[in-house]
Amino acid sequence: MNTNNNVYTIVYTTVIVVIAAAILALAAMALKPRQQANIKAETISQMLTAAGFSSKEDLAKFGNEQILALYSDNIKTAFLIDKDGNKTDELETEVSSIELQDNLKLENKNIAAGNPALPVYVFEKDGAEINVIPCYGAGLWGPVWGYIAFNADCTEIVGAYFDHEGETPGLGAKIKDEAWFREQFKGKTVDFEHPENPFGIIKGGAPADDRSKVDAITGATMTCNGLDAALDTWLAAYIPFLQKKAAAAVEEDCCCCDGDECADCDHDHDHDHGHDHNHSHDHNHQHNHQEG
Amino acid sequence: MNEELKKTLLNPIFKGNPITVLVLGICSSLAVTVQLKGACVMALSVIIVCGLSSLVVSLLRNSIPNRVRIIVQLVVVALMVILVDQVLKAYAYAVDKQLSVYIGLIITNCIVMGRIEAFALGNKPIPSMLDGLANGAGYGLILIIVAFFRELLGSGTLFGLRVLPASYVPNNLVILPPMALIILGCIVWVQRSIQKDLQEK
Repeated sequence: MNTNNNVYTIVYTTVIVVIAAAILALAAMALKPRQQANIKAETISQMLTAAGFSSKEDLAKFGNEQILALYSDNIKTAFLIDKDGNKTDELETEVSSIELQDNLKLENKNIAAGNPALPVYVFEKDGAEINVIPCYGAGLWGPVWGYIAFNADCTEIVGAYFDHEGETPGLGAKIKDEAWFREQFKGKTVDFEHPENPFGIIKGGAPADDRSKVDAITGATMTCNGLDAALDTWLAAYIPFLQKKAAAAVEEDCCCCDGDECADCDHDHDHDHGHDHNHSHDHNHQHNHQEG
Repeated sequence: MNEELKKTLLNPIFKGNPITVLVLGICSSLAVTVQLKGACVMALSVIIVCGLSSLVVSLLRNSIPNRVRIIVQLVVVALMVILVDQVLKAYAYAVDKQLSVYIGLIITNCIVMGRIEAFALGNKPIPSMLDGLANGAGYGLILIIVAFFRELLGSGTLFGLRVLPASYVPNNLVILPPMALIILGCIVWVQRSIQKDLQEK
């Protein structure tokens, strides 16, 4: 047979491409449930790592079911908030039907459009609440994202975890691989005063006295800039919520404890309660309390 | 026949190594040898993709139109790479995450295409597959040797575990790609002083 004639060539390539496409489509369909279960467990293990329940290395040894169970055991509530920080919808946390708001790409667009549905995952650890929120943005080669854990009144970061799709191994990928990078977020705080730049990843070293800045990674300037922009966008979107939590905590302290005990007492109150009776006109004086 | 198969299998490991003798796959061997773990998984993936693509192309070899053979080969290689990626995503998610970019890079690896062009198009399926596997192994061997030195001297660790004392100051030059080329050059040097017939006059 003459394999060089035009008709044969066209038919042959068409058939090969169709077969290849069919194989890929079948493989993708057959493997999709498993892949999505993996992605869900991965997302949850990133949150658990940020919240300090376990380390990513330990969770990597767990099966998906164990990770889901660990999540379900430790989560208190998960819900969505709108751009003003008001709760709009509950997320299911039962182990068999865990709901996550993991389409961060879509929410990233919604933040820009002004109508986001942002998730807040409230874990309970040693009697205290830990609020975990995500962030998402563009790195150098693809998306970068992460989870940031706040203490009960959202005034201090207690942990963070970052991930990426395709940053350069050994350079940009260090946002995930280097533990020191995420460790330096601990004890930092979000700068409520500057909602346009609430957090900074600073090339050349962050000033030691600035509690809302951390060091960038050498050789990963573009990735760090992308992550910085992601943090700014997402934290700015969360500021109304974070401020309400902070304000509610101050109010609770003033009502129920003596000033001296405030630092020690565990705020195990329901956060809804806080939402309902705090209004924006209280903000200023509460803020002073908190800083003083 | 047995002798020939043995030669197909062993030649690419040392005497006809795809990196040091054929000088193929240099690009990725510079890019993915900063850490041993990445180099090992990359080596394994290339072995699988190279073996399977050679097998499939060899099965199709008599029907492929000569004028579009590169395109057909590329379709087969890309198919294998995506399949490996999808299976890893479903069954070894952690490994796949660690490899992310490397997997896609296999499509552009000259060794895969090189062995298909040079061997699989003119040989029966089983020897072709062995040739592919062996060339992947030869590539992987060099990758692991380079990664060993780069991780040891560049980070003071091996497989992420600290080997050199904490007082060792990591050599940042070793982390950068030019040093990989220098290490590769040293390997070629060592090989050519053992294997005199490779030396050029």
